[in-house]
Amino acid sequence: MQIGRRAALALPASAVLAGRPRRAGAGETVRLGLLHTLSPAPFYLAQEHGLWTGEGIGVEFRFFEAALPIAAAAVAGDIDVGVTALTGGFFSLAGKGALQVIGGGLHEQKGVELTAFLVSRQAHAAGLTDISKMPGHSFGLTQYGSSFHYMMGWLAQARGFDIRSVTLRPLQTTGNMAAAVRSGQVDASMAIASVARPLIASGEVKRLGWVGDEVPYQITALFTTRAMIAGRADALRRFCRGYQAGVAEYREAFFHPGSVGGRATESAIAAIEKYVFTSDPDAAAKIREGVGWYDEGAALDTADVRAQLAWFTAQNMVKGPIDAAAIIDTAFLPTR
Amino acid sequence: MSRLDGPVAFRARGFAARDIPAASVATLVGLVLLWQAAASLGWMSTTFLSDPAAIGRGLWQLARSGELWANLSVSLQRLAIGWTVGTMAGLAVGLAIGLFTVARSPGMAVVAALFPIPKIALVPLFIIWFGIGEGSKLVTLGFGVFFPTIINTVAGIDGVPRALIRMGQAFNLPWRSIVLKIVLPGALPSILAGFRITTSTAIILLVAAEMIGAEKGIGAFVLQAGNLYDIDNLLAGLVVLSLLGLAVSWGLGRLERALLAWR
Amino acid sequence: MTASAIRLTARGIGHAYRDLVVLEGIDLDAAPGEVTVLVGPSGCGKSTLLGILGGLLAPTQGEVRLDGELAPDCLNSVTTVFQDASLLPWRSVAKNVSLVLEDSPLPRAERAARVAEVLAQTGLADFAGAWPRQLSGGMRQRLGIARALAVRPAVLLMDEPLSALDAQSRALLLDDFAALIAGAGVTCVYVTHHLAEAVRLGHTIVVLSRRPGRIRAVLRIDRPIEGRHAEEPALVAMQARLWALIRDDAARAEREIADV
Ligand SMILES: Nc1ncnc2c1ncn2[C@@H]1O[C@H](COP(=O)(O)OP(=O)(O)OP(=O)(O)O)[C@@H](O)[C@H]1O
Ligand SMILES: [Mg+2]
Repeated sequence: MQIGRRAALALPASAVLAGRPRRAGAGETVRLGLLHTLSPAPFYLAQEHGLWTGEGIGVEFRFFEAALPIAAAAVAGDIDVGVTALTGGFFSLAGKGALQVIGGGLHEQKGVELTAFLVSRQAHAAGLTDISKMPGHSFGLTQYGSSFHYMMGWLAQARGFDIRSVTLRPLQTTGNMAAAVRSGQVDASMAIASVARPLIASGEVKRLGWVGDEVPYQITALFTTRAMIAGRADALRRFCRGYQAGVAEYREAFFHPGSVGGRATESAIAAIEKYVFTSDPDAAAKIREGVGWYDEGAALDTADVRAQLAWFTAQNMVKGPIDAAAIIDTAFLPTR
Repeated sequence: MSRLDGPVAFRARGFAARDIPAASVATLVGLVLLWQAAASLGWMSTTFLSDPAAIGRGLWQLARSGELWANLSVSLQRLAIGWTVGTMAGLAVGLAIGLFTVARSPGMAVVAALFPIPKIALVPLFIIWFGIGEGSKLVTLGFGVFFPTIINTVAGIDGVPRALIRMGQAFNLPWRSIVLKIVLPGALPSILAGFRITTSTAIILLVAAEMIGAEKGIGAFVLQAGNLYDIDNLLAGLVVLSLLGLAVSWGLGRLERALLAWR
Repeated sequence: MTASAIRLTARGIGHAYRDLVVLEGIDLDAAPGEVTVLVGPSGCGKSTLLGILGGLLAPTQGEVRLDGELAPDCLNSVTTVFQDASLLPWRSVAKNVSLVLEDSPLPRAERAARVAEVLAQTGLADFAGAWPRQLSGGMRQRLGIARALAVRPAVLLMDEPLSALDAQSRALLLDDFAALIAGAGVTCVYVTHHLAEAVRLGHTIVVLSRRPGRIRAVLRIDRPIEGRHAEEPALVAMQARLWALIRDDAARAEREIADV
């Protein structure tokens, strides 16, 4: 049980804090829901480097297998904050009034190779050499309403074709997506860089582009519950400051021209390795290849969140109308 | 010594559960009404559990827009083909196991080994073997139906009284006639009881079968509604599955009454 | 219409279920058109022997032969009637009879005629459309006989066909059976526990010893079956002789079985 082990790793930090003198919010434990992947790396840094301890709070990691259950767990009161992809399901839940988006997470950024748009060798040979030729082809995604669905929709809009002309194949997992495009069961799909690069290099699939070069996209975001904002705003503020410090270390380690490859990078990789690619000899390389963009100060791309909500609503995947202002709270972290 | 003075009390009460068809309808209707009342009177929040009226409205809209039929027809077709193929294969193998020594032990060993495997876990493999299209979906359904059919067929055949088969042999009936006129009809009650299980299994597996690569279908629709936290549609889809189950169960009841009138 | 005239001979029949020797050195002659009754203590191997005679059981020793003239309308030379009648519950009375004719080359009309004929003979004509579960025990046994007669057997083997019935039904049916068997003119081997049945039906009565079953005595009653009454002094005397032959064996057999 990986999750259990991770949760156990996270426990001592909060245990140490139990006996301290406290101001408002200090000494509290905040439960964070997150995926067990590389994408929430700044949170790993904040935890491992004691950045929340420095703020006087403990953070307990609760790991999940999929994005949507994180939001559901917040609604159920099992976690206080979560970092997750902004999916149709997330907006539906948020629209019911319990969830508030408060900060940015992973962001597709021009020049940062994070998500690759891949086509199968067969489809490529048959003429699918540009994203604009997607009509009439199949696209593998995890689920309807997932971030892949949104990205495909956005690409369709940008290239001027109707997403309904693409056959969407829900495959549930990113592993299935990669397998399906490799074997030609779907014509096209997407994969994160660390998965995509070896496939491209071996010629098993062709890359038609990096999503970040096409779409400015707030992939994941930090959210919390209304109850948390109402009742434990001070702890939440401390949590956000620790998170920002984590983002700062992360950016310095992986995106700051002056420091990449130096001591900061090494220490960041050492911290992240405790959560992903554990005991993988290539961990350092995989982390360096796989990290994605976080905006400075963990800023939230509110304009894009609004655009996403509008798109999901227009696609009738989110039963609107949901007022974007009602599900975004910018009092805790900056905006982009 | 104690004295007895009085009538013999009736003591053969109970142990005679009867079917009252009206009661089954009344129970289901009553539960739905209770649910509606709880929602209408504010006893429960409808944020995360829609009330029957909302589900009904959702269903009506889905029906009017044609979306319901578009999904249902695809699923019905998958169910019909998957179930029929699985059942036919199961009957054939079950018959072989029930009738032939050479097939019996090897067949039962394979069944015992493969039956407990959760078919849902095999879906990713089926995708690789049978493709992302209809093949893997039909195989998932067919596979789920296959094993229970074998087990019920074999149990049915084993349950046919030896005396009846000996009677057929005493009259020198050809092997084919003994199988068709004695063994199969004798096994029919057990086989039909198996159909009740396998039709439900097929409906349950529909969601698993349509989990991967399905654009349309009630299972895919339910999954999609779940992913989107579209609770009205999620429940509407489940209601459709439930109604489908009720319809199939009713049909099987009729079939049993027609075929097993002799009981 | 001429009846078949088949003699059934068994020579040196022996049978063992694994180590349990059930029959030893059985020689049997069932004369054409006669009834041979097998009696003997419980468990002595009567059913086993009948199974061997009917080709339903392969003996470990010996051979069973049929010799004689087979009538052209005979569809199944050796036919067995079982104790429980072995009716198919999912077939109506008429269909239970037609079951044994459906694989024959008989034309459809003749099949129907035969079914009607044997049902009439056995007094079941009014029940042609009934389910077996709707029949009384006696009617079920009559149906079993009707079905057997429908194939015009040359040899009819019957294993305690009346034993499942109450005494009154048995007495009534016994006379029917006697008439049917005599009328059909078949060679018949009839197993029973009831000595009254044995003397009422048998031309030859074969007494088996307790297990391992051997032939202890063969008694003859050279009188036609028709017109016999079980209460006749001659038959009652014969019954007493039979009982004397079997009693000690039977008592011992009962104790043996209780010991098992
Ligand atoms: N299939 C079998 N396998 C093993 N033993 C058997 C089998 N059938 C019968 N026996 C045994 O063989 C012996 C003779 O059985 P059988 O049924 O022939 O006796 P029976 O004379 O017909 O008895 P009953 O008068 O009680 O009907 C009995 O001891 C019985 O237990
Ligand atoms: Mg017997």
